[in-house]
Parts: sequence; C-alpha cells; structure tokens
Amino acid sequence: MERRKFLGLGLGVAAVSLAPVSLLAKEYRKELPKVWAVKNSGKVNDEAGINEAIKAVFGSDKTEDGKIKLKAPDIAENGAVVPVSFKLEKATKVALFQTSNPECLVAIYDIPEAGIPDYGVRIKMAKTGTVVVVAEVDGKLYKASKVVKVTAGGCGG
Amino acid sequence: MRIKAKAADGVVSVKAGLKHAMLSYDVAKKKGKEANFIVYITGKVDGKTVYESSTSQFLSKNPFLKFKFKGEAGKELELSWVDLKGNTKSKKAKIK
Repeated sequence: MERRKFLGLGLGVAAVSLAPVSLLAKEYRKELPKVWAVKNSGKVNDEAGINEAIKAVFGSDKTEDGKIKLKAPDIAENGAVVPVSFKLEKATKVALFQTSNPECLVAIYDIPEAGIPDYGVRIKMAKTGTVVVVAEVDGKLYKASKVVKVTAGGCGG
Repeated sequence: MRIKAKAADGVVSVKAGLKHAMLSYDVAKKKGKEANFIVYITGKVDGKTVYESSTSQFLSKNPFLKFKFKGEAGKELELSWVDLKGNTKSKKAKIK
C-alpha cells in the first residue's frame, strides 16, 4: 500500500493528463478482499456461489447471454493446466470464475484504454466443473459458461 | 519470465510464461508450506497500462498468459507481477 501511494503521488499529475482510464486501475486483492473467499458448493452446475461472487465483483448479478466468445476444452486430461480464453469486441471489466475449486473466483481483468479483451490463461480445475466468464460492456453484464470435464489419472477418459 | 510480443496492424499480441509455484491453500496445507501465488499482473508500455489482472490461487503453476492491446512494434513492454507475500518481478521485452 505504501509503495502504491508513493508511486501514486509521483505519477498522479501525469496520469490525470495522459490517461484518466489508468486511474481506475485496481488491485482487486486489496480492493475487494472478500470476493476471493466466496465458496463453491462443489457441484458441477451449482452456480449459487458464482452468482454471489459476480454480485460482489460487479455490484449486480443480472446478466445476459451473448457478446463473449468463451473457449475451453470439452475434456481436460490434466486438471492442473486447463487453457481458457475469451474474446469480446470491447469491455471495461471481465472476471473469470469456475465451480471446480473450493473458491469461485479465478481472475478479474480491468481492460485499459489500449487493451483488447482477447485474453487467455491456464487455470487449475480440481475436478469437472463449469467455467464462467462475465464481462461488463457499456454498463451491462454479459455471461458465458462452459462445462469442462476433468478426467483424473491421465488415461484420457 | 518469458515474453513474446508481436505487432501486426496496430495490434500487439503477447504470450507470456511466468515462473511461479502458485501454491494454493489446499496444496500448501498438504505439503506443509505456506500458500503463495501471484495476485496482480500488469503490462505497461511507456508507463501506460495496457494489461491488468488481479489473479487467484487457481492459475496453473508457472502461469501462461495471452493478451492483446493496441500498440506498435519497436516499443518496450514491461510485464510485472506481485505475489501474496509481496515478492515482485518485472521484465521488459521489445515488441517485434
């Protein structure tokens, strides 16, 4: 926190004139410490925990379908490395959730002015579960989800 | 940290591999270690943020990222991360 404050003092003036968007930059581990602890029930399709987490991150859990292209494997042979990617034309904030692990939230992305929300990441899934991506576009929330079957033992199921 | 940044038609595509054990609370408990994982990753060009993510314990070990932003070749991308214990690392890579 101290370091951020210190940097903030130095960069504050420049940031205001150059890039107001960068002022929205947030380190969500500090801004919203509670959302990281929202628990899953452990059931594949039970999104109660996810809805709670969505509300905690975006302030609402009213979502619509569409806009998001979500890519995740149908079957993941190795739950330790599951490639997930999503693509949107534009968005201001995107969050990634799943129902496989004890807690729901995987990551929150603030999309900077120059950012293009075409992101990919490799995540851990302890067992079969649903991957959910929620994006804020023009003040509306959009959601996409996909079930990923995680086969244990690496025999390819 | 390995970074590859390529520009085409004003769009820079980045692939990055970070080196971190990403010990989740569960795994750390089993191993008798303390949990530690990357919590915040930023990408900057000329001091301006082009990528920003707050992350959890559920990123895979040695996380691999892909992202895009508007930019040009020749400039330098600086990617940095901070983990739960406050360790930090950053690396610069030229956009090709």
